[in-house]
Amino acid sequence: MYLKQTLIIAFTLSVISLGAWEFYWRSQGFYPTIDDNKELWATQRVRVENATNKDVVLMGSSRVLFDIQLNEWENETGKRPIQLACVGSSPLPVFHDIVEKTNFTGTVLIGVTPGLFFSTTFPKAQPWEWPQSRVDYYHKRTYAQRLNHALSLPLQENFAFLSEDEGVDGLKLKELVGKIKVGERVPDPMPPFHEFGEIANDRNLKMKAITVTDTAYANSIKKVWMFFGKGAPPPDKKSTMAFFLTDLKKFKARGGKVILVRCPSSGGVRMGENIGLPRKDIYDDLVRQARVKAYHFEDYDQFKNLECPEWSHLSATDAQFFTTELVKIMIKDGAVTNYKTN
Amino acid sequence: MLFNSLSFIVFLAIVLVLYYLKLLNWTNKKRMLLFVSYVFYGLWNPPLVILLWISTMVDWIAGNKLAKEENQKNRNLWLLLSMSINLGFLAFFKYGNFFLENFTAMVNSIDIYYHPQKMDIILPMGISFYTFQTMSYTIDMYNRKTQPAKTFLDFALYVTFFPQLVAGPIVRAGDLISQFYEEKRATINQFIWGLFLFTIGLFEKVVLADTLLSKTADDVFGAGKILNSLDSWIGTLAFSGQIFFDFAGYSTCAIGIALMLGMVLPDNFRYPYAALGFSDLWKRWHITLSSWLKDYLYIPLGGNRYGVTRMYAALMITMLLGGLWHGAAWTFVVWGGLHGTYLILERLQRQYLPFKITTKNGIFLAFLTFTCVNITWVFFRAREFSTAWNMIKSMFFINTTGEKILQSFDIIKVLTIISLMFLCHWFMRNTSLKEVSLKTSPWALGIIWAFMFLLIAIAQGSGEQFIYFQF
Repeated sequence: MYLKQTLIIAFTLSVISLGAWEFYWRSQGFYPTIDDNKELWATQRVRVENATNKDVVLMGSSRVLFDIQLNEWENETGKRPIQLACVGSSPLPVFHDIVEKTNFTGTVLIGVTPGLFFSTTFPKAQPWEWPQSRVDYYHKRTYAQRLNHALSLPLQENFAFLSEDEGVDGLKLKELVGKIKVGERVPDPMPPFHEFGEIANDRNLKMKAITVTDTAYANSIKKVWMFFGKGAPPPDKKSTMAFFLTDLKKFKARGGKVILVRCPSSGGVRMGENIGLPRKDIYDDLVRQARVKAYHFEDYDQFKNLECPEWSHLSATDAQFFTTELVKIMIKDGAVTNYKTN
Repeated sequence: MLFNSLSFIVFLAIVLVLYYLKLLNWTNKKRMLLFVSYVFYGLWNPPLVILLWISTMVDWIAGNKLAKEENQKNRNLWLLLSMSINLGFLAFFKYGNFFLENFTAMVNSIDIYYHPQKMDIILPMGISFYTFQTMSYTIDMYNRKTQPAKTFLDFALYVTFFPQLVAGPIVRAGDLISQFYEEKRATINQFIWGLFLFTIGLFEKVVLADTLLSKTADDVFGAGKILNSLDSWIGTLAFSGQIFFDFAGYSTCAIGIALMLGMVLPDNFRYPYAALGFSDLWKRWHITLSSWLKDYLYIPLGGNRYGVTRMYAALMITMLLGGLWHGAAWTFVVWGGLHGTYLILERLQRQYLPFKITTKNGIFLAFLTFTCVNITWVFFRAREFSTAWNMIKSMFFINTTGEKILQSFDIIKVLTIISLMFLCHWFMRNTSLKEVSLKTSPWALGIIWAFMFLLIAIAQGSGEQFIYFQF
């Protein structure tokens, strides 16, 4: 057996084929991205352990991720917030974790996407299970998992083929195999879903430029929102409100401050929200019972006409504008403090 | 730490550099291996390394006492002490909640109100493996079948040697400790072959088990509804492939890594899905566990020395306990019971309906064995009896209105992989990878190796835990 020769051949072919694979995907318009996985979330969650009462923690669903830009916030206040929002999620499990498992007494900004905030308290329901799984992961993660993540980041930042995206944009073998269709034995009503955001190490997320420039791309995402909108169960206002108010009371009692923010939506999504979750019955009632500072985009002239390219999230440029203006309003209102020294 | 993780690749590279640099003498190399083995384990949950230390200390002391002690009563006591502590840990950490649940159900059934809280117990990774390994040392010492380890370092390294610490192969003291007595260095060919085995193991785990088969098995067994017959069969076949590639992948990695260090670990799988009957299966599947169960359970229970009835009883008890070893649930006991039943039926067939196995009927017999094994996997994979029973009813067309959940491509994919796996096992059943590789040109082997590496890299894997870690 000529094992040395075998090794040399294997090594050479591996380098060539992997290089060609990377080159091919780059030529198809893919580029290196970081995955918004549990460990990335955990690296931000751990910051809350040592956060002071001057710190701000952001939580909510994808609208807080897309619409609140950390650089702009830091520019306005001198403090970089901690981003704990999770896509497609209720903020309640994360807020509950912060209230119950930390001594944090700073400010928590909670994004109110009515369809998710008031969705459920059932542990197995997706809007609850997703963020809860991140919370559980954070509390149980091993040193090996932390080390794996630290080692994977430089690779994720440099190789496009290592994308963890799922669905139509997925490049992992599992995703590529999953795209192969032979007939349709079982109908799959879910429209193809494109990834339309890119996240940084500190979980600052921006909408991809293609979502703004390519109408077809944006339209494909609108179809997904319509799909979810049609199948959405009615809100569970009673239990979600009760759950939130219990945690809020405890958090306020120890000196913590909460801000509620309703980020912009437009087009069909906003229409659906207005019909299924009318502001008066849902959001206004929450603000009334919570008795905390609250900001609804409809109440401010500068936000009223912001258009979301795919109806639910702001473009990177609009998100920067929204953050800057929102923070200015909140500083003026005394909800947030400006710690800048000059 | 998982073999299929970046941290392990870095860990292994550091270990190999330290091992092959001429900075350390052999004793210090062994100390280094022991230390990194604790790091390997501790990176998962540091406090649970203490259990390893206790197990090591107890069996080291018991082994030394057994080596010198002549008084049979005292010898019995030392053995009992070791078994009590080792099995006590196993009983508490692995079966604590299982015992509690069953005790609760039992007292409730006689109208005694008792509803204790479920205990929040972490299952130490690989506890079943290292417990069996250390116990084999003490039992062999008791039976005077092995020599005591020369030094505590050799013994501690035997218990903790990282390549096989958490999921085997379960190595006997005589096979591993003696390898630590003299300096070991892999030859260039051994090192490269070890690296090749490590790649094959990762390919089996990351590409075949996790990427191509696990989702179908998870979808079917997690569907929570009554399924169509085809979907149930495909889900079961997918799991049969997944568990083989997952576990055989781990063992192959372990053997490869050890070989890179110049150590030889025993084979744990020999193309089991081409087994001709169930005695043959257990000589090919998880070989180190089945030989452990034979030597330390079946034979002490009487084996075939006390007549047919006693032999069947010993066989069934061994398989039932073997099932329970895999997990703290009655579904695993049923899995073991089915295998016990198959083994008994096979012996009855040999006695009353003997026939000669030829090439023609051989593949049919292998296929029949594989089909029967698949039925047992349903109980192994399903977490509840209701799921298992619904699956079995669908597989045998008793449920006629089951739902379809798999796409056509999933079915084609699973059937292709499982057919190839079965044929591969059939054609390889009387040979070995090494023998086949010797006949293969370096170019072909190099291309296969590069292809496997490319698919591992593309599959990436999200560091899925090996299934057998939970056992």
